[in-house]
Amino acid sequence: MKHIDVQQQPVLSFGRTFKIALRGVQYRLFRALVTVAVIAVAMAFLMNILSESLFKRVVAVAVRDEIRAMRQADHWIARLSVPQTAEEIVAVLAAAEPDSETFREMAVFGGLDETALPSAAALAVKAQAYLKFFDDINYGRRRVLIGNATGVEIFERLQNEAAQTRFFESLTLMRAVRFVTTPDAFREFLRAWPGLSGTLTAVRAGQQRAIGNIQQAQEGRTVMEALSGAEGPFGEAVRQAGFVLDPGEAVSLAKQIRLAEHRHFIEDSINNPEVRKAVAARKDVLPGDVSLDMIWKLLGRPATAAWYEGQLAQHASPPPGLDAARLHEVARTRARSKLMVRAELMTMGTGGGFMNIGPRMTWLAFVSMLVCTVGIANAMLMSVTERFREIATLKCLGALDGFIMTVFLIEAAILGLVGGLAGTLIGLVLGLGRMLAVFQSLLIELFPGGLLLQAAGISIVTGIALAAVAAAYPSMRAARLAPMEAMRIE
Amino acid sequence: MRDADEKGAPHPPSSDFGEARAAALLIDMQNVVTEKPEALDGAGKRVIIRTIGMKKVYRKKDQVTQALRGVDVEIYTGEFISVMGPSGSGKSTFFNMIGALDSPSEGRVFIDEVDVAQLTAEELAFLRCRKIGYIFQSYNLIQYMTALENVTTPMAFGGVPDDEARKRGMEILGQVGLRDRWFHRPIEMSGGQQQRVAIARSLANQPAILLCDEPTANLDHHTGQEILDILQKLNKERGVTIICATHDHRMMNVCDRLMWIRDGSIERIARRDEVHVELAGID
Ligand SMILES: Nc1ncnc2c1ncn2[C@@H]1O[C@H](COP(=O)(O)OP(=O)(O)OP(=O)(O)O)[C@@H](O)[C@H]1O
Ligand SMILES: [Mg+2]
Repeated sequence: MKHIDVQQQPVLSFGRTFKIALRGVQYRLFRALVTVAVIAVAMAFLMNILSESLFKRVVAVAVRDEIRAMRQADHWIARLSVPQTAEEIVAVLAAAEPDSETFREMAVFGGLDETALPSAAALAVKAQAYLKFFDDINYGRRRVLIGNATGVEIFERLQNEAAQTRFFESLTLMRAVRFVTTPDAFREFLRAWPGLSGTLTAVRAGQQRAIGNIQQAQEGRTVMEALSGAEGPFGEAVRQAGFVLDPGEAVSLAKQIRLAEHRHFIEDSINNPEVRKAVAARKDVLPGDVSLDMIWKLLGRPATAAWYEGQLAQHASPPPGLDAARLHEVARTRARSKLMVRAELMTMGTGGGFMNIGPRMTWLAFVSMLVCTVGIANAMLMSVTERFREIATLKCLGALDGFIMTVFLIEAAILGLVGGLAGTLIGLVLGLGRMLAVFQSLLIELFPGGLLLQAAGISIVTGIALAAVAAAYPSMRAARLAPMEAMRIE
Repeated sequence: MRDADEKGAPHPPSSDFGEARAAALLIDMQNVVTEKPEALDGAGKRVIIRTIGMKKVYRKKDQVTQALRGVDVEIYTGEFISVMGPSGSGKSTFFNMIGALDSPSEGRVFIDEVDVAQLTAEELAFLRCRKIGYIFQSYNLIQYMTALENVTTPMAFGGVPDDEARKRGMEILGQVGLRDRWFHRPIEMSGGQQQRVAIARSLANQPAILLCDEPTANLDHHTGQEILDILQKLNKERGVTIICATHDHRMMNVCDRLMWIRDGSIERIARRDEVHVELAGID
């Protein structure tokens, strides 16, 4: 019969473990706050990067379409004035989807049939790759390889037997240069080149002819003037000539063109001495100091826009439809397109990487996390080691190893949660502030609430996980020691 | 946690600390220690703690301290044994070994014929929680817990429900005269009060073995005597095995055997009556 029968110790409930952990945190509030601060700074940094990148990302997506619409007018004016260059056609052919409108347009201009087009496109893809190679290598090497030829000229020049031999010889000497394909593949391409070249010439000729046909429909107006009626007969003429101009696109194109016309008229009105005098008097400056900005600012408010309309009616002859409301609208659109251009500049290089924040930002976030992990690990390590005595005492009283670990993990989770919340908030506010300054109204319009919540979640969870991982190792070590061994460690 | 404790608070401070409370404590013990103490000198002595060639060496870099140099001792169930010895002789080290708090560098420790080295972590925790009560020389109270929480923590580890633990904790605190101080943190208490909290904590789970490292060192004559009374009653009436390191000569009056440690070795073990004869002879 045994006096002492050894049994398993019961596991303490989570609730009681949590209470004990919480008491420990309260007792060491100052140290806990320091740890929280470290975590908060780390998470603020992460959240700042994430939120700014997310803002940029949504703005970039929105801006891309609006910018394209804005540039639609320039694009069409250019297309209807001169044929595309051979390089442009190569690029279009290489990028076009089979069966797309652009593809068919090319077929019409080049007089190509169904079978010839895909092979031309396949060749164009190769040509595009070779052209990129020649664009990328440095000037000296390029000079040695193909002399002063540029663009498709290169392929023309290499049709010459001697030039080709020299090219391949020089290429083999340049060990550091990696050519796109094997020399044989390039040779084969060069043999096929005259075919593609012929196609390009045919397409250009076709475009030239089409432009000539449209000129009759212009009725003596400039391309731009004519395009302001793009939704009407002129658009029909453009389509007839072989260009693919979608009716919906024609409507927005016409709107863009009219907007540009009105904008030009307004910008021109500054040269009208009477208008200038009136603005100078109103603004209390010399007529010579009146700037376009002043006028745009006047048009920015409906009341002053109405005043300006009066001046225009009196001293200039505004085109029909350019009333006060329209003046104001043009000014607003101009402000917005300025914002768009700025947004486009600011959002270059986004996309890809973690949460689409771009590879650079992903790397930055990763490195910052690494640094913070060290900081948090240090803070947690200190907080565990200075409590070895307490751990030892608890073990003397019958605490299980698991209990000790749970206490520290709970403590770490509490600190991680508080630090993560605080840091996320700080990072979000900073990011929001900075991005609001850049994108202004655009940001509020596009506010990516869901994505931000997701990012906040990631930050907070990261904070908790980092703290818990950092606490796990030292507390496990301490928990496994015999009580008195733990007590001896200082 | 504090809020919950307050429910158990408004007990008036009791002044009659002593006999009555020691008796109350013993009633608590009834459920746990079922066996009556046995005669020490009879043939039926049962060994509760046995050490065989127990050595302890503290190593710190190139500095080596021989704290215990081979201790062979048998301690019997229900015995009250005093361990005496000069400072630094290895008493606390001896306690840590037989209390399963540290592992000997050499030799073996059996607690009730179970080799401590064979126990799993969970079994060790059970042993430390329920079967052995410790009163540390340096108290080792948890600084962020109140006196009551310090006492109820071992009960929590032992699976006693919160309410019951608080009730029992208050009773035990009352027995050491600290009922009205239950909400104080260790830092807010005097050395003697902390020592009494440590004593109360050691009794939390009604252990079968009590290891006391200088339990009366910081107490005045009167309070010290009362602690001794409690220990003696626990021993006599409930058969708790008590091992007590002390410099307190009053301990001689209550213990069954005395053990002297010097320089990490047992110098002598003697029954109290033998020692009394000697002392009488000297007188
Ligand atoms: N953690 C340690 N590291 C190194 N040496 C130690 C350690 N703990 C104790 N010692 C040494 O072991 C010896 C015995 O110490 P111990 O604490 O057991 O003495 P003690 O008899 O309890 O003394 P006291 O009466 O002063 O409490 C001493 O020489 C001491 O210096
Ligand atoms: Mg000691």
